[in-house]
Amino acid sequence: MLLTRLFRRRSGRLLALLLTAALNAWAGATPPGVHPPSAPASPLAKPQSAASAAEDDSAAEDSANLSASARRIYDIGRPRLLQVRTLLRDQDSQASVGSGSLVGADGLILTNYHVVSQVALEPQRYRLNFQTVDGVTGALQLVAFDVVHDLALVRMAKPPAAVAARGLFEFRPATTPLAQGERIFSLGNPLDVGFVVVEGTYNGLVERSFLPQILFSGSLNPGMSGGPVLDDKGHIVGVNVATRRDGQQISFLVPAEFAQALIARSAQAKPITGSVEAEMARQLLAHQQQLTTRFVALPWRETKHAHYSVPVPQEDFMRCWGSSNPSESKGLSFERSDCQMDTAIFINESLRTGDLAVRHEVYDGSKLGALRFAQEAGQSFRNEGMGRRTHDLSAPKCEEDFVESAGLPMRTVMCLRAYRHLPGLYDVAVLSQSVDAKTEGVQGRFDARGVSFQNAMLLASHYLQGFAWKRSP
Amino acid sequence: METLALIETLDRDGQPRQILRVSQWPVRIGRAIDCDLVLDDPHVAAHHATLALRDDGVHVEPAASVNGVRLGRAAIAPGSTPLLPASSVMTLGATTLRVRLAGEVLAPEQRLLDLLQYERRHAVTLMGLILFAAVWQGFSLWLTTVPGGAQGPALAWNYLSAPIGLIVWCALWAIGSMLFQRRFAFWAHLYIALKWLLIAIVTEAATAQIAFALSMPSIEKLGRVVFVGAIAMMMWRHMGLLLPTRRRAVAIAIGSAVVVSSGLLLIDRGMQQQPLIGDLYLGTISLPGVRIAKTVSADAFVKSAAPLEKTLAKWAKPGDDDDDAAPGDDDD
Repeated sequence: MLLTRLFRRRSGRLLALLLTAALNAWAGATPPGVHPPSAPASPLAKPQSAASAAEDDSAAEDSANLSASARRIYDIGRPRLLQVRTLLRDQDSQASVGSGSLVGADGLILTNYHVVSQVALEPQRYRLNFQTVDGVTGALQLVAFDVVHDLALVRMAKPPAAVAARGLFEFRPATTPLAQGERIFSLGNPLDVGFVVVEGTYNGLVERSFLPQILFSGSLNPGMSGGPVLDDKGHIVGVNVATRRDGQQISFLVPAEFAQALIARSAQAKPITGSVEAEMARQLLAHQQQLTTRFVALPWRETKHAHYSVPVPQEDFMRCWGSSNPSESKGLSFERSDCQMDTAIFINESLRTGDLAVRHEVYDGSKLGALRFAQEAGQSFRNEGMGRRTHDLSAPKCEEDFVESAGLPMRTVMCLRAYRHLPGLYDVAVLSQSVDAKTEGVQGRFDARGVSFQNAMLLASHYLQGFAWKRSP
Repeated sequence: METLALIETLDRDGQPRQILRVSQWPVRIGRAIDCDLVLDDPHVAAHHATLALRDDGVHVEPAASVNGVRLGRAAIAPGSTPLLPASSVMTLGATTLRVRLAGEVLAPEQRLLDLLQYERRHAVTLMGLILFAAVWQGFSLWLTTVPGGAQGPALAWNYLSAPIGLIVWCALWAIGSMLFQRRFAFWAHLYIALKWLLIAIVTEAATAQIAFALSMPSIEKLGRVVFVGAIAMMMWRHMGLLLPTRRRAVAIAIGSAVVVSSGLLLIDRGMQQQPLIGDLYLGTISLPGVRIAKTVSADAFVKSAAPLEKTLAKWAKPGDDDDDAAPGDDDD
């Protein structure tokens, strides 16, 4: 949705090519006074720094220091920084590009799972390659992955002789946590245009996120995925992973601790040659177990509606948005609440999983009358999408009945879809519409993606029991 | 004089153009003026054939000719003189003759499809149907239009689009009647269309309500089957007005079209793992008072869903479409 993974796919690559072509055209025939906004040497930079220098000498000194430290960090990172490319198996066309950092003397590289997902899922169609800043290239093998935290380890198939001389990235010790506002530096190769260092600030962990992610105020761009983020000593504090398209400089990093854990677990592992699906399913099952346990342990929030208690989740790791239609509306008036988790786990381009969503609409149809209200409610009930058979998921299969919870009768539908490549995982959707009153009602929907069958049932039951009919005060 | 047989020369439409009463056998047929039946057809020989009475009945005796004689659809082989069956049709050159013999058993009198009578007989019912349809259309429009929604011309169009479509539909069928029955039978077709459309629509609406009341989605699915059946009936009745003598053939044609197309649809839906008939779940919400079925507890409901696991395990198996369906396919 709004969260964009920092890597480029085929379409993205097309865009990059177009951009390069456009830049060439501009370079050839730029009308005087018109500068392409993304030209590398924008003249805008010069007047700015000149102005600040004129203003204050010490500020100039500071910025000089800052840029000096960025330069120092880049110098530290430069030999150990790589671009990780996914190529088609039989030709040299790149399908996607990300970044990576050298973390093992045998050529072990840390990157994002989503950078290598095509190779992990379809090794018969894709292969991996790396390129260092100084132009050394070679093949890579997938060693391990942590799909939940979006991390992967790859290893050079034939490490060049000089690989040990490049040195390794080290991690910032957990005993010295960063403070909010500390300057950190992200490295990577955005849009496949060249290696960059981006300065930004550490802003702690993202609030209300089930999976811990560092909030990084800096501009990350597609292609930087998997690149390291370093503190001022050049130690890894996180891994570039995502950015928000609807914001500016709202970027996300995987905390270094998960990368360290993965390395500790799998640094010596042999390259993966078989299917990754069983291991992926295992990791996702462990995640959904944690998520379900934590979610079911939370009580539902008190809702303020006159006649209905509606299950609205605590905002511990979900974010709720409310809306309503104008009160002067002559038709059905409603209040809506939409709660979602920010973190969904990337499996492939078309499949995100491992999250929950809860929403409801409370209707007041007193201006419509009973018949028209029933018609409108039915329309809304009918229109809910339950998905269809795809490459990743089976078609939905539903169970429906009149369900009563704490005095409130509801028409309830529960639909499940099974994951076709990740055995034991299901998507579940519970749709419930109250049928107790002539001109008012509530419709709720609960969605869980990537849960076990047992937990799907547990969550559905938990959700339905959150409904109740309240006696008018 | 006693009439032994009647030989009718038929025109392209199968209507008699020339009738010969036979009072004595044999009858000679050809282009020559000494024939008993003289045909003005350049594809007929001077003496083309003779009908002669023998002990067992009348026989066709073809003479030498270029184009020969066909009895029914079969050409008479040279040299053979077949017996003439009752009410048989013979073709000589480009001329078709029908021979009726005295003493033949006649087919029973057929009821006339008099479209005017048909329309008069159903006039009152038709008026009732029009009234009902108008009220129904108004009601469903009222039901689906929220206050402050469509207004003025938009509302009028919403109301009138269905009747206008119906008028065009019936006019097309009436043109068909014009072609086959020589009468622009608009009202007769309107009667048929309205009757079966209303049966289809009302059944669908009623079964949806009953399905809600009893919490039995299968009743709603039954309604959909009735809907298709009613539409098929409507088509059959329309065709019946056009070709009253071909009702059986039309029934077979429409029946097999319904069977084949619904068969293909079922196969496709089965492959897509969709419900064979109707929607994924019952989408009807009705008034609280309509519900008859009892409620179950949330736990009991969830328990009743246990069999889904088995079905989904079967559905989840990677199939043939595994490779060709690109992962780029969306999921909602």
